[in-house]
Amino acid sequence: MLTIKDLKANIDNKEILKGLNLEIKPGEVHAIMGPNGSGKSTLSNVLSGKKGYTVTGEVKYFNENLLDLEIEERAHKGIFLAFQYPLEIPGVNTNIFLKTSLNAIKKAKGEKELDAIEFLKLVKQKAGELKFDEKILSRQLNVGFSGGEKKKNEILQMSILNPKLSILDETDSGLDIDALKIVSEGVNALRSKESSFLIITHYQRLLEYIKPDFVHVLINGQIVKSGGSELALELEKKGYESLS
Amino acid sequence: MEQLKVDFNKVIESLKLSEKSINSRKENLNQFVENGFPNKRVEDWKFSDLNQIISSNIENLRFHTDFEISEIDETTFIDKFAHNKIIFLNGVISKVDFSSEDDTKVLITRDLNQNENSKEVNSLVSLNNALITSYIRVTVKENYSMNEPLIIYNITTKELKSTAINLKTDIVLEKNSSLKLIDLFDDSSENNFINIVQNFDIAQDAILKNYKIDHKKNSNIKYSYNNINLEKNSISENFIFSTGSKFIKNEINCNLNDEYSSAFINGIINLTNSQHHEIKTNINHLAENTKSYQLIKSVLNENAKGIYQGKIYVDSKAQKTNGYQLSKALLLSENTEFDGKPELEIYADDVKCSHGATSGNLDEDAIFYLMSRGLSNQQSKELLIKGFLLDAVEKITDIEIKDLIKNMIGITE
Ligand SMILES: Nc1ncnc2c1ncn2[C@@H]1O[C@H](COP(=O)(O)OP(=O)(O)OP(=O)(O)O)[C@@H](O)[C@H]1O
Ligand SMILES: [Mg+2]
Repeated sequence: MLTIKDLKANIDNKEILKGLNLEIKPGEVHAIMGPNGSGKSTLSNVLSGKKGYTVTGEVKYFNENLLDLEIEERAHKGIFLAFQYPLEIPGVNTNIFLKTSLNAIKKAKGEKELDAIEFLKLVKQKAGELKFDEKILSRQLNVGFSGGEKKKNEILQMSILNPKLSILDETDSGLDIDALKIVSEGVNALRSKESSFLIITHYQRLLEYIKPDFVHVLINGQIVKSGGSELALELEKKGYESLS
Repeated sequence: MEQLKVDFNKVIESLKLSEKSINSRKENLNQFVENGFPNKRVEDWKFSDLNQIISSNIENLRFHTDFEISEIDETTFIDKFAHNKIIFLNGVISKVDFSSEDDTKVLITRDLNQNENSKEVNSLVSLNNALITSYIRVTVKENYSMNEPLIIYNITTKELKSTAINLKTDIVLEKNSSLKLIDLFDDSSENNFINIVQNFDIAQDAILKNYKIDHKKNSNIKYSYNNINLEKNSISENFIFSTGSKFIKNEINCNLNDEYSSAFINGIINLTNSQHHEIKTNINHLAENTKSYQLIKSVLNENAKGIYQGKIYVDSKAQKTNGYQLSKALLLSENTEFDGKPELEIYADDVKCSHGATSGNLDEDAIFYLMSRGLSNQQSKELLIKGFLLDAVEKITDIEIKDLIKNMIGITE
């Protein structure tokens, strides 16, 4: 579903992604690990269409050139990024935002939009599954949310929007042990033959809950090693030193 | 100015006035003739050169109307809640309805001879003194809280053109009384100058809530001067929703005359095209333990210009004053201009006063976040702008009126 070939990204004349190759097939879970500053968040931003990068190379998403699509078109076509640092948006009610988002995507797909009641029913159910306090959803989007609540809110959005390709940028960082388990269950519940995941993490523990099909090591803007889930364990023991 | 003198005589002829009142009107007229419309050389008007604005927008300004319109378009009335009404139609009072109030508790005067001249703080107030043809004073008696809000409709129709109209209302709140007042503009006219003076006397323990709504897009030029006097333990809450007119300057002079009185002035300036709106406030802390709070949020598009001049004056007697003022502006295009001029003048030593101001564009990262959830660029911006405006609207303490204004902005919850 996603084929990345020789992807390079520059910002402010600084090369951050330096020729990255990756292929993700439907239903696969890929994990990316790598030291701070190696370009993991940059990769997720470029895949979601964030402006400000000079990008070269090729990214095929199904049969389209992903790099030609606008940010919201990518969302409409099933790409979802759970942000490493979800933004606080003052004055925007979380529920209203969620409904606007879901209906924007439904509309783009030519599906029937949800009315207020149908939407609340859906949110209630999804929030319940994630043990996410619904009261929080009547507050302003992410404003004053704890670090863990912000991350859970990302996963809630993911499970409501039901994307095809979910990119999770350090969603596990800042989650307590129980929350980590719940979030992992949320991800596993979405796993299917059609939906794929790109999971960025620093910790092998997450990968015990969400078993990846592949683990990649991203160092200095390139994938330097790929393997199965055992690679995560090896990295945990030896660090990145030996690879760079 | 020749036209002004001719029209002045017509106005005087049309009204039954005492000799004394005619003379004082003449003095006021002369004061205006001497100074003309304020221009940018007048310090208070340096960001809004009214003389220039009027001459470039209105040709052959007249100061007198002789046509009458009696039909009021009822669809302009607010239907979300029951309310008392005063209707100014093209500057003339055409309806006064306080039928749901106790008429021994709410007194209405329309006698021009009972009108006292407003203090001539600038040439526009002098012009107003010289030319008003309709006057209304509402007195709320001691211990009476109005059952329903009062809406003063300022309606102009398309027959009104190139004309200056002068309106005046006095609001007197006796001890421990309360009033919610909405000043609502509804303009179908073009290129007029509307000059409004409002005086508020708020006695001990009384509460005034005044919401000024200039919502419907129109090409008129407006000036609204408000003088508020607050006695012990009284409260004045103002909200200004400034988005309709070509030009409007809302000026509020507020005297906190006695202990524990407080004034709140919050507002929104939301402009497009070449609109130009100003809010100017003077808060005078003249007694101990008085409080003032101001939050103004501006959103400027295209070539719009927004101005907030906020002055807090603290008299040497006014110890333990608490004064706060914050201005935030969103500049959505390169051609907008926002001028903020905060001023603190403090002669007491035990006070808490602060002011702050920010201006900038929308946060690109926030737009990215929203768009990554499927919202279009336009939708994302609208959501962020409404979010930006929300906390000013949330300051409105009356729920019905808060909902009304939220509705006008398009905030749904
Ligand atoms: N706007 C920018 N201008 C200049 N350099 C930038 C900019 N944005 C990111 N970088 C740099 O690009 C590099 C990669 O950043 P990125 O956020 O992708 O790293 P990361 O792998 O996600 O790191 P972490 O594990 O700490 O989250 C860093 O060195 C960072 O400082
Ligand atoms: Mg990162």
